[in-house]
Amino acid sequence: MSLVEDIEECGWVFGKDTVDSLYACMQCGKCTGSCPSGRITGYRTRRLMNKVQSGDRSILEDPDIWLCTTCYTCYERCPREVKTTDVIRALRNVAAKEGHMSKAHRATAMYVIKTGHAVPINDATKKLRKKLGLSEIPPTTHKYPEALKAIQDISKKMKFDKLVGFDWNTMNLEDREEK
Amino acid sequence: MRIGVYVCHCGLNIARTIDVEEVREFANKEEDVVVSRDIDYLCSDANQETIKNDIDEFKLDRVVIASCSPKMHEDTFRRCIKSAGLNPHLLAIANIREQCSWVHEDKKKATEKAKDLVKMAIAKAKNLEPLEDRKVPVNRNVLIVGGGIAGIHAALELAKAGIKVYLVEKEPSIGGKMALLNVVFPTNDCSICVLAPKMSEVSSNDNIELFTYSEVVSVDGHVGNFRVKIKKKPRYIDEEKCKGCIDDCAGVCPVEVPNEYDFTVGSRKAIYIPIPQSVPAIAVIDPESCTGCLFCEEGCNADAIDFDQKEEEFEITVGAIIVATGYEPFDARKKPEYGYGEFKNVFTTFEVERLLNASGPTRGTLARVSDGKIPKKIAFIQCVGSRDKKVGRPYCSKVCCMVSIKNANIIKSRHPESDIKIFYTDIRAGGPEYEEYYEKTQRMGVLFVRGIVGEIYEKKNGNLVLSYEDTLESEKKEEEFEMVVLSIGMGQDEDARKLGKIMGLTENPDGFFSVVHPKMRPVDAHTEGIYIAGCATGPKEIPDSISQGLAAASKVMGLLVRGETGVDPLRAISIPDRCDGCGLCVDICKFNNIKVVSKKAVIDEIGCHGCGSCVAACPNDAIYLTNFSDEQITSQIDAALSEKKEYPLIIAFFCNWCCYVAADLAGTQKISYPTNIRIIRVICTGMVKPKFVLMALEKGADGVLIGGCKMGECHYRFGNYGAANRMNILKGILEEIGIDGRRLRTIWASASEGEKIAKEVKDFTEELISLGPFGSEFS
Repeated sequence: MSLVEDIEECGWVFGKDTVDSLYACMQCGKCTGSCPSGRITGYRTRRLMNKVQSGDRSILEDPDIWLCTTCYTCYERCPREVKTTDVIRALRNVAAKEGHMSKAHRATAMYVIKTGHAVPINDATKKLRKKLGLSEIPPTTHKYPEALKAIQDISKKMKFDKLVGFDWNTMNLEDREEK
Repeated sequence: MRIGVYVCHCGLNIARTIDVEEVREFANKEEDVVVSRDIDYLCSDANQETIKNDIDEFKLDRVVIASCSPKMHEDTFRRCIKSAGLNPHLLAIANIREQCSWVHEDKKKATEKAKDLVKMAIAKAKNLEPLEDRKVPVNRNVLIVGGGIAGIHAALELAKAGIKVYLVEKEPSIGGKMALLNVVFPTNDCSICVLAPKMSEVSSNDNIELFTYSEVVSVDGHVGNFRVKIKKKPRYIDEEKCKGCIDDCAGVCPVEVPNEYDFTVGSRKAIYIPIPQSVPAIAVIDPESCTGCLFCEEGCNADAIDFDQKEEEFEITVGAIIVATGYEPFDARKKPEYGYGEFKNVFTTFEVERLLNASGPTRGTLARVSDGKIPKKIAFIQCVGSRDKKVGRPYCSKVCCMVSIKNANIIKSRHPESDIKIFYTDIRAGGPEYEEYYEKTQRMGVLFVRGIVGEIYEKKNGNLVLSYEDTLESEKKEEEFEMVVLSIGMGQDEDARKLGKIMGLTENPDGFFSVVHPKMRPVDAHTEGIYIAGCATGPKEIPDSISQGLAAASKVMGLLVRGETGVDPLRAISIPDRCDGCGLCVDICKFNNIKVVSKKAVIDEIGCHGCGSCVAACPNDAIYLTNFSDEQITSQIDAALSEKKEYPLIIAFFCNWCCYVAADLAGTQKISYPTNIRIIRVICTGMVKPKFVLMALEKGADGVLIGGCKMGECHYRFGNYGAANRMNILKGILEEIGIDGRRLRTIWASASEGEKIAKEVKDFTEELISLGPFGSEFS
């Protein structure tokens, strides 16, 4: 399967048209020029689109694809209406499937499986909630452990745990060779 | 009846998808067909001879051609049969190329559809009648709307040939956008210096009557005889008395407002002339800003100020019209990331043209208007409002690359120490000496950066920080400049759009006017006798606009020189025996061509446009349309459904001026759609009778599609409104009698929307499948 077909399959939730919009990229660089991440990192949205257009699979192992903050500025400004951010998100799905998920994203996923939250509650948040007159523990998985169990069941059924390399014994990430 | 049927291979254009031999054999078995042939390239002279010989040998009285669209070769084959002694209107064409072989892949289905189309054409042929072309005298005056570079050249060319020209310009002076530019590429000629002689030639030519500060209010009539109403706004100046000295009046005027002819980087008085070379050199008072202090009246020695002037309206008659309305520069505020209008030192192309111009607000000094500083570091940003779908401008404006290169060239030659960068997507420098000019400018030290600027920040000192990627280096940079020039693209002029509605011109999806064929007939509007030149049909550079002005002029001469023109004999004819004088037709005819005399409708034969709205409105079938008679339509419906080959089957009635052409375009562009549609060409959707729809459904169609022009673009002004209304009511009636109203669909598209037609057929087919076969709603 070609790289674009892979992205279409892994990004099915966005629809084929979204992914196929990348064929219209004319390499003008408006995306990179608008990118807040690219200002401080080596991330070049335009280059990413170019690599995908030309079917260069090395992009899947490129740590750059995880630097997008999904702020959607490039998406808003693209003159050819390439759905840049969604293409990148779909591309990440392919990379994750091939075992190239970034450490930071894996860690976030770990927290979701472990606690039901990408950012679990901490003492500071508890204090703040109390100050605002809210219950200390929010009505989420923090309060309803049965809901957490549902999330964990979904993770198992969808093999999300395998995808991120979650070890149910240690309740932590398995060691992986990081690029 | 003796019919000859000819099926064209068109090389492989038709024969690749359709089994031409099978279609011919099928046609041969049809009743009254006495000869049939399948021929490679039927349009060639030799093969036309075959048809002529057959007419003679087989005593043919009808000819059916299965070939490309009638829009391509109807005239060719009419001439062909006419030269063999047959009335040219005894010809029917089955469109098996654009609307069959080019849009379908399934050979078997396409061949079956082609057979149906041929069968329908034979059925129509049997109901054709001989018609005589009407000749109408041609008025030898011409109206040109728009006094820019295209309109000026058209006017001068026609005037030279002795033709009377009315030139209407909405601004107080002719000259258009070119009159405001600094220099022109690639010669670096002063723009007004090369234009002004042409402008004054217009004002001194006796054959040209110039109406400035005027607008077209209405257009009636047809080729050879248009009646045009023109509105002349009051200048509040006696045109006979004003000498154009301007200093005496403007010098004392206390009101100062932003000057629109300087694109607001400069200012003007409430009494002004747009530019020093204005034609006519007559002042104008802007009533919006004038305070009525009357100082100008005191200042004017010629006693030319006249506050009692009123708006005038008058009518002229012309044989032809040239639309040369130009364009409108893109409003850069629509790209907020560049801060135009907010950041003081972000300018547009036109503002910089005025700043560089010796008669501009700074007398040719490129200075920051905010602080007077001469910028040393300047950025040009290309494609602002061009090649940008986000602002509805997917097209390239064609001239902006060269315009920025030109302005960079001029600035660099005046200030060699300045540091200039042009940020581009692709440089488009195709044209005589253009690439050379680009190279010359590079050699002067102007830098070209491949990458479109993402956004701009303003610093406290008014400098601007550009965030961009140098795409060739894959490097993201932030760089400070003292001035930014946004290279703004071209769009359709809003006033021109209003004029388009008045004249019934059609628009492309990008807003520019569409022409009969973008490649082969670049200046012909869809209405005979109206021509379009210059940027009204899309961005053009000066020489192209001039060429188009001249082309339109030559078209007009071709029309006017004969003194008369043949008009399609298509018209409505009343049948007095059936008429009960109800007068519904009188109300629906927006051209006022029908009267009820002694309880019978009487139709003005010469004035009738032949749209057929009256035909559909008549409750007694007492009016018929020559060449689109009820019998011709119903026989085609019958033929299409006598042996139903596909499910779901759609019968479509497509307007000759828009949807039929759009369906042809889908063919030319090879946009495929399902085979299960049989298109019947009608002259206007306004002529489609509800009984045609009912008959189609009754005979087994699963759905009916009515395709007409977009609202406001009807060739006959109001035909599609009538159709929309009629079909809406019919939908309700269908629902009432238990038929799903979704089986009747309408689509309003312009001739340029081939893709929209293809999509509609696909969507409708899917919907009909979901509804089930016709009649399933009864069970």
